[in-house]
Amino acid sequence: MSRTIVTTTCTAVSSAQPLGAHELAHACGVSIEWVVQLAQAGVVEPTPPEAEPQAWRFESAHLQRALAARRLQRDFDVDLDAAALILDLQQEVRRLRALLHTHGLGH
Amino acid sequence: MEFKDYYSALGVARGASEDEVRKAYRRLARKYHPDVSKEADAEARMREVNEAYDVLGDKEKRAAYDALAERVAQGRAGAGAQGDFQPPPGWDAGFEFHRSPGGGPADHADFSEFFSSVFGAAERRSATRRQARARGEDHHAAIEIPLDAALLGGEREIQLRALEIDAQGAPQWVTRTLRVTIPAGVHPGQYIRLAGQGLPGHGGEPAGDLYLEVRIAPHPLYQVEGRDIHMALPVTPTEAALGAQVRVPVPGRGEVDVTVPPNARHGLKLRLKARGFPGGHLYLRLEIALPPADSEAARAAYHQLAQATAAFDPRRHLGVRS
Repeated sequence: MSRTIVTTTCTAVSSAQPLGAHELAHACGVSIEWVVQLAQAGVVEPTPPEAEPQAWRFESAHLQRALAARRLQRDFDVDLDAAALILDLQQEVRRLRALLHTHGLGH
Repeated sequence: MEFKDYYSALGVARGASEDEVRKAYRRLARKYHPDVSKEADAEARMREVNEAYDVLGDKEKRAAYDALAERVAQGRAGAGAQGDFQPPPGWDAGFEFHRSPGGGPADHADFSEFFSSVFGAAERRSATRRQARARGEDHHAAIEIPLDAALLGGEREIQLRALEIDAQGAPQWVTRTLRVTIPAGVHPGQYIRLAGQGLPGHGGEPAGDLYLEVRIAPHPLYQVEGRDIHMALPVTPTEAALGAQVRVPVPGRGEVDVTVPPNARHGLKLRLKARGFPGGHLYLRLEIALPPADSEAARAAYHQLAQATAAFDPRRHLGVRS
């Protein structure tokens, strides 16, 4: 086992440094057409919404939801409308759990 | 390295049909889903189940895995003792792995060493053969950062274990250490992107990127919720009743004096604006801590307080007479 050290730069995916639709697709290992379907189903909400896909911009939360939707689709054959609902519910459960935790009631 | 029994991970027989494998996977994926499971080792079990399904749910990989398992059973592979498995060179000749639609390195980040040395290299060789010119795939991993480091940013070293193909075409584990300057204010769930640190490109095309999902290490004082940070702030009954100035530690930014208003109740939340992650706040939740009545003077003081506040009945709403 060898060891190399590489000094490199990084950026945080955010509104200041968003991902384009092609970059989001590449990060998920899918085509841009799939990203368009994601947006139509409301899994991700690109900004600006009325623009052409080439001009869409995505933040970290969108990447997280896109990766999760792809897993749901692959593992459970859910359609993207159902995936959007599952992800919304999951987000709500996590928010409520965190709220419980901050009141000292979490596990 | 241990030889993984993917059939027992999914709880199916060797001859299980595709449908049985899929059903077993879906049942276990629900059972061990981190948002619903009550099992302590749910996350680790979920990883095993995902890995087993990645192989058994794919015709080509399953056939190759079965052939390998057969050789292992006959003692023709992995010459070492149990728990010291090595795939024999060229074991996968004649098998071509196509990555299933929707499957990709994002799903393999958590998989075992066994998986990567058996299938990782073969998948990559297949990809190289199929695509003459293509940008390398993006790679995914998670990074846990202490709260202060996430708020303040700064240089960190990240160790990544990656499989690389040596000159003989054999897979080789390489530990890469990346030294990166984390931007200040990265919050949980955010992705850090390292350009060109993903899988190598094909036919002279550039490498993919590496995405690191930020997780914040548990902190003894602070809880992180999205972009907000929460902390319990203990105060005495005197401080809560009369109001007080108390000094509190602020994550990543030293200390600050906070005004507790008079007649503050237990559970009251004080908000310190813009002291959380960018766009979030620091919330202090008041907890009234009773001084112990462990001396004559303290007991006398409690009696004196009771006399002075004799009209106060905390159980009035219960409707019983004291």
